[in-house]
Amino acid sequence: MNVDIRKRELVHEFLSSLRKTSSLSTIWIGVLIAIILVGLTAFVLQFLKGHEITGMRDNVVWGIYIINFIFFVGISYSGAFISGILHFFNNPWKNSVSRIVEIMTVLSLVVGPIFILLCIGRLDRLHYLFLYPRIQSPITWDIIAIMTDLFGCFIYLYLTFIPDFAILRDHSDEQTPKWRKKIYKFLAINYHDTPSQHKRLHKIIGIMSTMIIAMAIVAYTVLAWIFSLTLQPGWNSTIFAPYFIIAGLYSGVGVIIISMYLIRKYLKLEQYIRKIHFIGAGIVLLILSLLFGYFTFAEYFSRWFSHSSGNHLLLETLFTKYFWEFILANYMGVLIPIFILSIKKLRTIKLITISAVIAVAGLWLNRYLIVIPTLETPFLPIQDTREEFIHYTATWVEWSLSLAGIAAFFLFFTLIMKFIPIIPISGIIKGEKMIENKKKGKKTIFE
Amino acid sequence: MKSYLYKCALITSFIAVLSLVNTSIAQETDASDYRMLFKFHTVKQSDNSRLLEVSFIGMNKKNKKDKLPVYDAEIKFFNRLDEQEVLLGASKTSKEGIAQLSFKEDHSFITDTDGTINFIARFEGTDGIDEQEEELRVKDLHLELNLKEVDSTRLVQVYAFTKDSLGNKNPVSETDVVISVGSMLAKMKLEESTIEDGTFEFEFPEGIPGDVDGNVSIYSIIEDHDDFGNVTKMKTINWGILNKQPKEHANMLWTHAAPLWMYIVLTIMLVGVWVNYVYTIFHLIKLKKEGDIINLETR
Repeated sequence: MNVDIRKRELVHEFLSSLRKTSSLSTIWIGVLIAIILVGLTAFVLQFLKGHEITGMRDNVVWGIYIINFIFFVGISYSGAFISGILHFFNNPWKNSVSRIVEIMTVLSLVVGPIFILLCIGRLDRLHYLFLYPRIQSPITWDIIAIMTDLFGCFIYLYLTFIPDFAILRDHSDEQTPKWRKKIYKFLAINYHDTPSQHKRLHKIIGIMSTMIIAMAIVAYTVLAWIFSLTLQPGWNSTIFAPYFIIAGLYSGVGVIIISMYLIRKYLKLEQYIRKIHFIGAGIVLLILSLLFGYFTFAEYFSRWFSHSSGNHLLLETLFTKYFWEFILANYMGVLIPIFILSIKKLRTIKLITISAVIAVAGLWLNRYLIVIPTLETPFLPIQDTREEFIHYTATWVEWSLSLAGIAAFFLFFTLIMKFIPIIPISGIIKGEKMIENKKKGKKTIFE
Repeated sequence: MKSYLYKCALITSFIAVLSLVNTSIAQETDASDYRMLFKFHTVKQSDNSRLLEVSFIGMNKKNKKDKLPVYDAEIKFFNRLDEQEVLLGASKTSKEGIAQLSFKEDHSFITDTDGTINFIARFEGTDGIDEQEEELRVKDLHLELNLKEVDSTRLVQVYAFTKDSLGNKNPVSETDVVISVGSMLAKMKLEESTIEDGTFEFEFPEGIPGDVDGNVSIYSIIEDHDDFGNVTKMKTINWGILNKQPKEHANMLWTHAAPLWMYIVLTIMLVGVWVNYVYTIFHLIKLKKEGDIINLETR
């Protein structure tokens, strides 16, 4: 195999799709921007009028913003975890998934913390968090952990992009705009894939993989502790940190499967993202759904069995007011994916994707049930107050901003895919080299 | 007439209690549905006074869990010798159905030749409730409780004896005794044994909680003995320990300062992560420099 020719072929194949703007993608981007604009309008209103225009009140001080925050940050940490783990596999099939996971990791970590800012009633005092931090507060540590993790994820994402930037710099054709070439050149930092550069790059990617796995666990643990270090019924739990990590991995794998499906379908990448990838991801989702189901059962069973009146009141609320949400989140969201994924014949691309959608939706509802019902059932009974002060219902402002966050995630994803191939070219070449060497009977030193 | 009014008051109070306790069956309830439990016992208390106590309870014949105290019933207490009955006094039952009469140490009861005192408690009956009577025969037991510390060993010594008509002490044997310490709600049993030849000795354990001054009340108790009834003796001594209230933890999330170990551990962790970031960036710069050299060579 002539590597240079193959690189040129692949660059041509991917660059043409990167440059091409179909009417469908224009509409898609237009819709996303429209949703974001509505969200921005809602944000301006919220900034001017305060939290009065949201459903959050004295008792339920956290609403769907914090749920979105936990959800997105969970996806990010699971992405970081999976991405770090994938790096240590020498199997070529990881190549089709790795970039999706890396982009997902960074983008959800960019979008997620925006929701925590929306929870702050006085955004004008945001800088106080940095000026007067309380070092013993898990919130301070969460900010530090998120910033450290975000920085690490950006570095990691960039490191994995460098070989492709170099290929795109060296093999871009005449039709490639100059600005694009300049950016590729700048970002490639004179990488020429020499053995010395290759070794150095691989070494630091290895270090960063380890770092982001550790950071993902630490940061999501700290996030779980924000809840579990309080004495609130439904939050005060010793297993909250591992429960959050498993839940994050569960939703993260779900989002990866959904992204794989959409990218495969709309970018016509069937030859790179194959059924085997879906089956592999589906089995991981099955294992995680079993673990998540076990943790959920252990969590609610111990609450039900305890003699704490707060827990009993909470469970009563969950099984009355939030009955269907509870069933959908903790039964359907776990049992349906388990059912589909455990039967071999049902492991088709579509059904695996449907399982992933159910898992992700169930997870979001699970987060909702962790946050809202607990705040609605405080230890002291609430008296002489208006109904809307006790019970929470998200307003259009909150829904708009939530949808804007999701739209921003997809928009950034789409824009990144317009700039760099979603399947790493360097990875494809490595994989092909590996297969060729295997055919020849040579031992491949992959890295 | 007076007696008639008294009887009416008694029945009315009984029915009133019934109606208060279980209003749903108040219309159908009367005293005939209840079997009367008339229990009489005596306690020789720590100060050597003697308490005579009657518990007067009505138990539903159909539902044994349904028990109602007989309130305001007059109980007369007698001291009997052969056919002679001496009225000691009378007491009315409380809302719990308890009637008590207490006699100081120097009160002299009529005894038979064995030194046995014969007590009788009697309720004379009303139209609704039959007469109740119970007899009790006890010997006057003298219980002494000595608390000594011998060679750092804390000893609880119990002496039990009766006195004959000449005032001679007769040690008792085969009498069960319980050593307890007083606690907030009840007495905590430390030892249960038998008095032989009038004595019993027990080593007081260490670490028994006392009050703020370390004082602990030690009881020697003889319970429901066939000959002596209930006899109690109590002494207080500074043998207990003070269980200090647990101090509030100095460091909490809402206190002003975080624990030192938290600063150290988390700083090490964070510095460790950021050092790796710096190391990575350093290698990126080197990577770029290597590329610069290759570019120069190519040119």
